[in-house]
Amino acid sequence: MTFFTKFCIPFIVGATVMFTVLAIKYIAWLRNLPKSDWRLIAKNFFSLRTVTALWEVVSESLLHRRIFKVNPALGYMHMSLAFGWFLLIAVGWAETVAYLGMRWVPLQGHVFFKYFAALNNISAHNPTFDFVMDLLLLFVLSGVGMAWLKRVRSRILGMRKTTKHVAFDRIALSALWFVFPMRFIAESVTAALYGGGGFLTSGMGAILNKIASNDVLHHIYEPAWWLYSLALGVFFVAMPFSRYMHIFTEIPLIFLRHYQLRPEAMEKSYDNFEVEACSRCGICIDPCQLQSQLGINDVQSVYFLRDRRYNMLQQKIANNCLMCGRCEQICPVGINLNTLRLNSRSSMRNIPHEGRYNYLRDIDKSSGEGKVGYFAGCMTLLTPNTMSSMHNIFQAAGEDVWWADRDGGVCCGRPLMLSGEMDSAQKMIDYNKALFTKHQIKSLVTSCPICLKVFREQYNINDIEVLHHSEYILRLIQQGRLKVGHTKDATFTYHDPCELGRGCGIYDEPRAVIKAVGELLEPAHTGKNAFCCGSSVANTAISDAQQLSIAVKVAAELEDTGAQTIVTACPLCKKAISRGAQRKVVDLSEIVAQSIK
Amino acid sequence: MKHVIVIGGGVAGMQCASELLRQNIAVTIVEKQQCIGGKIRNWHKLFPSFTPADEVLAAMQQKLTTHNNLTIRTGCEATCITPQKVTLSSGEELRCDATVIATGFTLFDATVKEEYGYGIYDNVITSAELEQMFNEKNVHLKQGGEPKRIAILHCVGSRDEKVCQRHCSKVCCVTGVKQAIELKKMFPTADVFNFYMDMRMFGPGYEEMYREAQTSHNIHFVRGRISEVSPTFNNRLQIKAEDTLTGRPLKMGVDMLVLLVGMKANAHNTTLAKDCNLTLQPSGFMQPKDSFLGNVASNVEGVFYAGAITAPKNIGESINEGTAAARGVVEWLEKR
Repeated sequence: MTFFTKFCIPFIVGATVMFTVLAIKYIAWLRNLPKSDWRLIAKNFFSLRTVTALWEVVSESLLHRRIFKVNPALGYMHMSLAFGWFLLIAVGWAETVAYLGMRWVPLQGHVFFKYFAALNNISAHNPTFDFVMDLLLLFVLSGVGMAWLKRVRSRILGMRKTTKHVAFDRIALSALWFVFPMRFIAESVTAALYGGGGFLTSGMGAILNKIASNDVLHHIYEPAWWLYSLALGVFFVAMPFSRYMHIFTEIPLIFLRHYQLRPEAMEKSYDNFEVEACSRCGICIDPCQLQSQLGINDVQSVYFLRDRRYNMLQQKIANNCLMCGRCEQICPVGINLNTLRLNSRSSMRNIPHEGRYNYLRDIDKSSGEGKVGYFAGCMTLLTPNTMSSMHNIFQAAGEDVWWADRDGGVCCGRPLMLSGEMDSAQKMIDYNKALFTKHQIKSLVTSCPICLKVFREQYNINDIEVLHHSEYILRLIQQGRLKVGHTKDATFTYHDPCELGRGCGIYDEPRAVIKAVGELLEPAHTGKNAFCCGSSVANTAISDAQQLSIAVKVAAELEDTGAQTIVTACPLCKKAISRGAQRKVVDLSEIVAQSIK
Repeated sequence: MKHVIVIGGGVAGMQCASELLRQNIAVTIVEKQQCIGGKIRNWHKLFPSFTPADEVLAAMQQKLTTHNNLTIRTGCEATCITPQKVTLSSGEELRCDATVIATGFTLFDATVKEEYGYGIYDNVITSAELEQMFNEKNVHLKQGGEPKRIAILHCVGSRDEKVCQRHCSKVCCVTGVKQAIELKKMFPTADVFNFYMDMRMFGPGYEEMYREAQTSHNIHFVRGRISEVSPTFNNRLQIKAEDTLTGRPLKMGVDMLVLLVGMKANAHNTTLAKDCNLTLQPSGFMQPKDSFLGNVASNVEGVFYAGAITAPKNIGESINEGTAAARGVVEWLEKR
């Protein structure tokens, strides 16, 4: 039996190039993983994590369940292409086994089986396989149809904006669009000439027999298979250099992620798996407020990852992000978009200024004995109503407090981290840590979610419990140490700060506190989907006017709830939203302090 | 007899009205407050000559009282302004042959800059409130007693993108110097600090006064904005700032903080511009027809501007614009 003919060459060359490049890339990335990452792999390889990873590969790489949750139509499109193609390969392999028994068949023998079956005069057809293979082909073709539709009218598939693609993507995309239609035509012509095929290809074959003579069909028979092979070959060559790199990359990524590998403050080899696992589906574009509110179209995560991957990332792109996490929240591949953007900024901006922080040496004039440290945070120092409210709350609860940033503490370091100046941030972190240790505090309360996040993630102060003031106040109320009165007529709406909600996962505590003093009305976008106030310290690129424009939109939605007062739990959000709001904007602590019985 | 309506009875409006009356034109002044005079009524002494504000006000009012062709409508606002007609907030319509808008400015609301603690801590006051205290001859701390150390903060609500006030309010620098000297004269042993970004001594005698503040009155000038204010245990105020000339952060305890609140465009300007087809600048102040050859004319023929309606101005400049606007009105009326 022969399993080779000239038209196989594009396919064979394409597949060889693709697998070689993939191997080179993956080996290089794995070799460069830091030792700590390898230790994690070794530790977790022989564990249940491998099994759960395998299941996630099926549910995500093949079924695309997360996209289904976000947008069912897009989910179907991705699933039909991925799972459909996978089944075509798997069932196709079973088909050759069914026909030829267990024997070695070269790759092209499986792929172009219909051609070689005719060539090798295998005339007995298996109607079950014919039917299943045609059903699967129809399944994939429906996905291709939707992909075409998405390019023409993306709104039909629920997307306002789709990704603008680079050349490699366009080549690969065009090739992919033709792979399955060409396969359909080639198999239909084969069915017309040699019989066989399921409802789809034999049906089409019957039509071809009617409209074209045998002679014509013989003439287009070989070219049809050539075109199918060419489409595959072009796609395979373009694949490792295009967005379709995600098809294979998501698989090792899922395993590595299950082995607890994560991107960190500095770039490392693991990041390659995350960056190249981005399929540029563009789902991250619509939730971006820089896009929807300000019409900025080239900074979203999809473009950031693309630029980083092709080494053409510019600071103005990396810096223009609110880091609100709305895209990370929705990303179907689960890429750690904020961390990657941060370590990119770090690579571009981290130039430590040695002399600048000399003043830290003699700044500590701290005193006080309290076991509870209260770190107001720089932004809270700029909203003194929160400070005086916290003062009243501590007093009412009889808490012995040490005011951590009154006469000693410096900036938590996160604003520097967010701008990429990791080394400078570390100086702040070290200074504050030494101060906390010196005062032997047992817990640390902060009113600023920006500080909270860095305390929890970067400080490694495991013997000190770090609490946001919303958690702390709720605890005081629950323990009966703080008595607050509930006013039925007082209506509040709550704005989730990005760093508190998506950043630290604190959604319920502030709400519970609000409900203890009045009625809570939720805005349209709330919880995990809450908007960013627009004044994020993470974005140094947009102007105040642009920040204001976002704040006005956010404030309008909060005011639409009809609530008398807008409550938030972040001093930055408070300042930002008050700029755009008609109604009163207050911090959570203020409404609590006013309700103390 | 021609009839012109002047909206706003501050220095610019008063000057414009008296010039028009001199030309035998009947004038109606529409004033929001219960009496005319405008903001100068609240000021104590005027820079750089320390002329008492009430002297200037009295002289200007004197020129108006002797006229029979003058009508003053107090306690009402103009909602729509055209050359031939002004609609009042009561709905009443006044016919006329030309209009002059001289509604001035609004003082920046210092509570917006929460970090300075205005309205939160005792002894954080605005420059306008200090003038009031000067007038009442009663500058004291909330808890009683004299201030030993006073900080005066420049550019509160001016040149501040964070509160969407990009423009310079022009007169706060010199006001800060003037008030510092007055405070120092009142409390010779007290330390008085000015925290500034730039000292813009644009007028005649201003630079000399600034120099005198340093050489004769030993008033301190620190280049740097105050970033935040917090209370201390003994009821003083702790201010944090950066001395940008030495590049170091500084903390200081003071007894009193004076905020030099800037000039904000009237909120009313936006609706006025929309309803009367007048052009607005990005700052919210009205846009004059031309910066050189038509700075008291508006883009609507027969509607004129005078004073701080178009930009922050000092009192002398506003008075001059009152004269210029009157001249513009007369020329326009003659042409028709």
